[in-house]
Amino acid sequence: MRRCQDGDREAFGQLIARYQKPVFNAALRLLRNPEDARDVAQTTFLKAFEHLASYEPRFKFYSWIYRIAVNEALDALGAKKPVEEISGEEQDEAPGPERRVESEQMSRAIEDALMRIKPEFRAVMVLRHFMHLSYQDMSDILLIPEKTVKSRLYTARQLLRDDLARQGAF
Amino acid sequence: MTDPGYLELIHAEIDGELDARQRAELSRRLLADPAARSLRDDFQRLCKALDAVAEVEPPPQLRESILAALPPLPVRRAWYAPLQRWRYAAMVAGVVAAGALIYETVRGPMPATSEVVGTIALAPAAILVDAVQLANGPVSGRVSLYRDRAMLALRFEVKASPATGVQITSAGRTLRVDHIGQDRPPGTALTVALPGIAMRGQSVQVTFRAGDRTVGTATLRAPGGP
Repeated sequence: MRRCQDGDREAFGQLIARYQKPVFNAALRLLRNPEDARDVAQTTFLKAFEHLASYEPRFKFYSWIYRIAVNEALDALGAKKPVEEISGEEQDEAPGPERRVESEQMSRAIEDALMRIKPEFRAVMVLRHFMHLSYQDMSDILLIPEKTVKSRLYTARQLLRDDLARQGAF
Repeated sequence: MTDPGYLELIHAEIDGELDARQRAELSRRLLADPAARSLRDDFQRLCKALDAVAEVEPPPQLRESILAALPPLPVRRAWYAPLQRWRYAAMVAGVVAAGALIYETVRGPMPATSEVVGTIALAPAAILVDAVQLANGPVSGRVSLYRDRAMLALRFEVKASPATGVQITSAGRTLRVDHIGQDRPPGTALTVALPGIAMRGQSVQVTFRAGDRTVGTATLRAPGGP
């Protein structure tokens, strides 16, 4: 980190190599579109480089870079046409059991369902289930209390479960 | 409607956050409520499926494209700037002290000269030996004399115009601090080392000057010695 903060590009290249996959995947799960995720990943690292002076080593680097990535992705979402979101109150047509999907299709169903929940719920799902972060790390990244992290996570799971049930994935 | 209390227990179980008492509580409720068992199964299945979603490899040229787009900025370390300042201050103090030692050794007692002195950071253990409060005027505030390890140091907590300089005289030696009011926010202090000056009960004369004009004076007494 010190070498990066001294402007050492090679050292920063090593940081990119280490974190590009989780950053890209977090952006991908939040945005769905690989091109958008690539843009967000690139912007994330460029911003990190520009603001290395403000990074304090007593904090976890991955929390810092994920925070930039999540904010960038949420900003990118805000700039795009909003997707139709579910609130848990709408009642879609219930498909029959014949539409149950198999495990390899479940991932696609989950990705689809994720895109139908609000970005703040999607963000906690991504951080918890794709980045495998603790409540505390999520709280640090999203700058919200742990209690709010839990509340959003539980609500997000409920919404996703209900949506998947409506789609016949459950 | 499932009560929120045990919904929370179900989620906490999935996240590995249950203690023994909560686990027992959840087991008791699940045994008693088939709807709760079904809900828990759903959430467990959902989370298992979520955790099984495969990671995607980033585009192959992502790292290179980021490196190519990096701005040509020298990056400074704000987080350790205070540490650096202490290091620089210690280095400046060391250089000043060593310079003074060599100077005194080579020079011996000679007529008054004028040297520009550097600023230092006062060590926390420095001892206050004298202080003068300046009345309101072109220069106002407090000047303090400290013993900082093996040398003396003057601390200025003064308001002065940016053009004001300080001349420090003691025992035939004269030191100079240029632009004492420059580049510092109001209320901050400036400390200068006085290597080789007045260690044995002599006075330290401080004269504030704006160009050729004297705009304030203060006299401080150094501690006596054997």
